[in-house]
Amino acid sequence: MTNLRSRILLIVGLLLASAFALFPRTVVERVKRGDGFVLDTTRKVPIKLGLDLQGGMHLAMEIDESKGTVANKSEALDRALKVVRTRIDEFGVSEPVVQKEGTDRIIVELPGIDDRQRAQDVVQKSAFLQFQITDKTQALEKALPRLDQILKEKGAALAAIVPGAKTDSGAGTSSPIAGLFGKDTSKKGADSARKLAKGDTGTKDTTNAALTGTQGGPLSKLLAPGQMPGEFYVKAADAPTVQRYLELPEIVNALPPGKMIRWGADTTSLGTEAYRLFYLVDARPIITGEYLKDAKPNTVPVEGTVVEFTLDNEGGRKFKSETSKHIRDYMAIVLDDKVMGRPPIIQSAIGTRGQITMGNRDLQAAQDLALVLRAGALPVPLKIVETREIGASLGADSIHAGITAGVIAVVLIVTIMIGYYRFSGALAVAALVLYIIYTMAVLAGFSAVLTLPGIAGMVLSLGIAVDANVLIFERIREELDRGKTVRMAIDEGFNHAISAIVDTSAVTILTAAVLYQYGTGPVRGFAVTLIAGIVASVFTAIFVTRTFYLLWLNRSAGTAQTLSI
Amino acid sequence: MLRIFHNTTYDFIRWWRTAAALTIAFIVIGLGSFAVTGGVNWSIEFTGGTLIQLKFAKPADAAEIRAVVDGAGIGGAEIQQFGSNTEFTVRARGENAADARTGVAGGAVREGVERALKAKYGDGVKVVRSGSVGPKVGAELSRGAFIAMLLGSLITLVYLAIRFEWRFGLAAVLSTAHDILVTLAFIKLFHFEVSLTVVAAILTLLGYSMNDTIIIFDRVRENVKKGRKSNFYDLLNESVNETLPRSILTHTTTLAATLALLIFAGEVIRPFAWVMFFGIFIATFSSIYVASPLLMWIENKWPRTDGAGRPTTQASRNPAASGAQRPSRQPAGAGR
Repeated sequence: MTNLRSRILLIVGLLLASAFALFPRTVVERVKRGDGFVLDTTRKVPIKLGLDLQGGMHLAMEIDESKGTVANKSEALDRALKVVRTRIDEFGVSEPVVQKEGTDRIIVELPGIDDRQRAQDVVQKSAFLQFQITDKTQALEKALPRLDQILKEKGAALAAIVPGAKTDSGAGTSSPIAGLFGKDTSKKGADSARKLAKGDTGTKDTTNAALTGTQGGPLSKLLAPGQMPGEFYVKAADAPTVQRYLELPEIVNALPPGKMIRWGADTTSLGTEAYRLFYLVDARPIITGEYLKDAKPNTVPVEGTVVEFTLDNEGGRKFKSETSKHIRDYMAIVLDDKVMGRPPIIQSAIGTRGQITMGNRDLQAAQDLALVLRAGALPVPLKIVETREIGASLGADSIHAGITAGVIAVVLIVTIMIGYYRFSGALAVAALVLYIIYTMAVLAGFSAVLTLPGIAGMVLSLGIAVDANVLIFERIREELDRGKTVRMAIDEGFNHAISAIVDTSAVTILTAAVLYQYGTGPVRGFAVTLIAGIVASVFTAIFVTRTFYLLWLNRSAGTAQTLSI
Repeated sequence: MLRIFHNTTYDFIRWWRTAAALTIAFIVIGLGSFAVTGGVNWSIEFTGGTLIQLKFAKPADAAEIRAVVDGAGIGGAEIQQFGSNTEFTVRARGENAADARTGVAGGAVREGVERALKAKYGDGVKVVRSGSVGPKVGAELSRGAFIAMLLGSLITLVYLAIRFEWRFGLAAVLSTAHDILVTLAFIKLFHFEVSLTVVAAILTLLGYSMNDTIIIFDRVRENVKKGRKSNFYDLLNESVNETLPRSILTHTTTLAATLALLIFAGEVIRPFAWVMFFGIFIATFSSIYVASPLLMWIENKWPRTDGAGRPTTQASRNPAASGAQRPSRQPAGAGR
């Protein structure tokens, strides 16, 4: 009797615990934000839905070593992880996941995000900020004849490596290359430079003179001087070619010492033609983004969208002393190797404040840039090796389909069990209800994520869960056949069935554990639900169903001669 | 009480030759087609590449979509209807997968396809799901799947060896290996795409098939302990017959659940459900016609002996050979 009471207590206790685990509630918890912990009130949902059910993005990233190797990868990845996490925390997604997977990968999961490009930018942008002074000594103009010479010498070799320079006569994409190797078209380049100079009203200065002398060269004919010293225009169509030329090691070596090329981030139109800009700047930045204290987006009348930044005191001092040396110079604001906006002229020494103009981009772009600047630069470039993106509507459809399948499976199983085992079948169904509640509670307890394969695993484990009951019932029937009393038959049935139930469950749990170990994302969800389902099924079949029987035997007070099974 | 297959005395084991011939033929055809037409249809998760699922406002045509996708410069992509005729998947495998320019695996492919389709269909098309996997990740996943299969089998073998006895364990593992082979042949012959979820289905089957075999072997173990029948052939038949109602009923409920998944759970789960559906049949079949004869064969080959080295069970059906046999005192299960 006491035995029975403690059994019932345990079942009810677990039921209450499950209800508690499954009940959505509001909790106050310590959350790491910025520098320290703050108390935050969040709504706890019992079972989180996986990305495939609620929609969202999954990104896997590795260190990009295509532009030079990284010495201490593991440490670099840890630092990158911290930066990415800070950025994502500020990105405004509820319950994002940012974690390391294995030793060389960062996983980012953003539920509910469907602006893929934006999310990728925020995660992947290096956000390395530098301020570099543009060249005003016409160093590139002076070096141009030499660069042209190098390109001419390399001409033959270049033809082989430049893609698109193959002998396909159809597409017009190869025109700059054709211009390089077919002498007759060289005039075109000169024309364009002249046209540009014309459109460039009133700003012709001495740089033009320097350029005219070299207009015939393979590089120089694609360039036109800009409106400020060290600035150059390239037709948007020619930009890839020029970029390739300027990246050749021979050219890089032949550039004026202490100078480097930086491309502008935007395209500018002059008349009907689109142009890219590049700048020759001092290789040494006067200051970098490491001193950045704060950044926020703003819209100002003239420049449009800007990001205003504040440097810390040390950075402010350094910035002031550097800029005071460069009054009347132009300063390129370089973000991730690209010059943002047009370099402003330094009117007087600048202290701790400055701004980055965003060109024609919208406020959201400025917000995102401010966000990544605040979070700091990525210590290493990251490349995305895997993406998954699920639309919210598809996720909703999947949930709906999964629930439909689950309900129908339950109805079928209930019909079979009650139809075949009658009263005992009804007991098993009651146990099955408890089984479903317990399984959900176990999932909630382990804060498992429910995925679509996870739902499939649950539906499947429903089918498997009744197996334990079936084993027991068949055993009881056999014992009854042998002429045992009802009480005896029930006892024997359970005792004999247990070994098979334990063995089968153990094997399934072992394979599911292997799946968990080697699976990813949704498959892990499947393994977890399968394991939770089997643990709950063993408990309900062996313990709960038996308690129901004991209860029934007790109520009939020894008068039970027959059992509906 | 309602009873099915009660007190049956079917001679299941007699059919083992026919069963073996059937199943070997199926495996040979399946694996033969591997040799002829190459491996299975791996999903982009394993090969690396890009998958884009599109939803159209109006019914669309695969050939038309193919033309658009080809026009976007993404050649050799597979276009497939996905369930209804308003949903399609575009798969671009292999070399298109990684795109150095954007630094995003498959980024250019996805952007390109979406742009080209938007140009043609306007707002009548939506990308509802997309995924890109770099070749390195793909290679890791295939290795993971392979290790998972191997490790899964190994761990269950060890468990069974501890819980039962090595003869039972060996028979169970061989029969499960058979199930996996048959399922692979099935996947190959019906051109199912092998995704991670399908691998999960195969691993679940590994457990499920083991279940079935364990139920029968558990009964065999018990019957050996009782020592009522001295010849193994009859003992096996009796055990299979005794567990038959349970087998039928459990498979019915599991099949019901799988059927619900197959019909209602949607296109993403369907390959998983098909593999499970087929696998449940195979598991039932093999536990009776493969695992049991295998066990008999193993018992024949390495007969169990009692303390004095005499055989305790007789695999042969000929009672003359087992005339002087006394009931076994040695428990068959090593564990309990």
